Amino acid sequence: MRRFLIGAILALTAVLPGIALAEDQTRIDRLEQELRDLKQENQEIKKRLDGVAAESEETRDSFGRISSFVNISGYADAEFYLTDNDSDNAHFRVRHLSLFFIKDIQKEWRLFSEIEYEDAPLVESEHTTDDPDTVQGKLLVEQMYIEYHPELDWNVRAGRFITPAGLWNIYHYPPYVPTQTRPLMVRRIFPQVSDGVQLMYSFTAGESVVDTHLYVANGAGNPGRLDRNEEKAWGARAHLQQGSHGLGASVYREIDNVDILRNAFGLHYLWDFSPFRFQTEYQYRQNSPDTGSDFIDRGFYAQLTYDIGKWTLAARYDWYDPNGSQPQADIFRYTGAVNYHFAYNVVGKAEYNRNVFEDSTEDYNEVILAIVVAIGDL
Amino acid sequence: MYRLPRILILFFAAFFAAAPAAALSETIAIIVNRDNPQKALSRDEIRRIYTNSVLEWSDGTPVAIYDLSVDDPVREVFSGRVLRKAPSKVAQEWAHLKITNQAKNPPTAVKSESIIIRRIAREKGAIGYVSLSSVEGNPEVRIVNTIQ
Repeated sequence: MRRFLIGAILALTAVLPGIALAEDQTRIDRLEQELRDLKQENQEIKKRLDGVAAESEETRDSFGRISSFVNISGYADAEFYLTDNDSDNAHFRVRHLSLFFIKDIQKEWRLFSEIEYEDAPLVESEHTTDDPDTVQGKLLVEQMYIEYHPELDWNVRAGRFITPAGLWNIYHYPPYVPTQTRPLMVRRIFPQVSDGVQLMYSFTAGESVVDTHLYVANGAGNPGRLDRNEEKAWGARAHLQQGSHGLGASVYREIDNVDILRNAFGLHYLWDFSPFRFQTEYQYRQNSPDTGSDFIDRGFYAQLTYDIGKWTLAARYDWYDPNGSQPQADIFRYTGAVNYHFAYNVVGKAEYNRNVFEDSTEDYNEVILAIVVAIGDL
Repeated sequence: MYRLPRILILFFAAFFAAAPAAALSETIAIIVNRDNPQKALSRDEIRRIYTNSVLEWSDGTPVAIYDLSVDDPVREVFSGRVLRKAPSKVAQEWAHLKITNQAKNPPTAVKSESIIIRRIAREKGAIGYVSLSSVEGNPEVRIVNTIQ
């Protein structure tokens, strides 16, 4: 009996772990199967959710196409400015709040406008004069035009538009350029904006793309409804893009309000070889007064940027000669800048400018720290 | 005296450390509508389409370009291999063109690959990119190139 009991105990000891192990294995298999089922279920739910999200986005897109919403975008920037220029002082500057309103009226028609509120002036109905205590900035309709674009490669714009000249005059918005200051000659030789009609036509020539602009306008110094002479200005721009190289030329001709015939010419070159980007422009203007001697004004800049991760480094050399007949009038500027892109539409900038004059006693330095944001889903 | 170069080295090291790196190992498919006249596209041709150097297909149909969100890993690979730029840089450039109203045919950014597939299946002139596994065997679209 004792021997039998010992044998039974030994047999149980040998068999029970096997049974336990087999049960464990079954449990593991079951759990693994459950896990597989859950994974599959999860994938199906994910797929379904993706489908729902896709449908929702499709609905929003369809709604957006037929709705009468106006697309609002823009940019804003604030600066801290520091200088050793005797005629200026360190200050904070609420520089731009620029809003773009874009409305696709029909498939082929669009209204584009840019309202710029610069330096945040206080404008009140009882202070509409040039009282320097109240009006120190500007509220400007920088662009407002109606565009007709039956094809992707051409359009006609009527209203006020950025003068198509060179590179910086068109592509100058603070969230997307490395410096807060613009090159010295920009807006001095070619006007910033033009009121008139513009035709844009784009075509390919082999591997190259050529963009052309042709426009007729009131002329510089004639904003709004006042065109103070019978003469009209005209201008053109051509830009050829071949791979990473872009080359172009601009012209502009007008007789201004004091009867000076102005003929402006510009050349530009762009080399976009990521992470480097180089751009340079030369502009020249012949000024022929009705009475008196001709004179020229001209300028040049060359800018190199380098992108690395969220950083952009930039360096620029600038020169502007406001009057070729006065050899002591040239201005030079050397700029270095560092940008940090917090996001693709938020950038912090630190910029240093060394301004050099023919009379070295006038030289001065500037440091600008800025935070810039692009508004809206661009 | 030697402190400045050392600081500069550290400064540049920090820049390089911040540089983005492509993280996706999956193959990407460039897709067009099944009725598109183009049977295959080279990377250079795709880049030209995505940079508006080409505005219409050989049969005259206008090109409609689709993109994924800036932070999508598929876009990161596509952008780096085809456009040779980081997605954020490309987004900045489009934003600048759009804000100046100089963009001729900007891409439409959508949130998911399934939306791109749906749109391309629907629009004859559409082009986009998705992960190969999401589109393999789909008869409504045509794969014109793949990117490893």
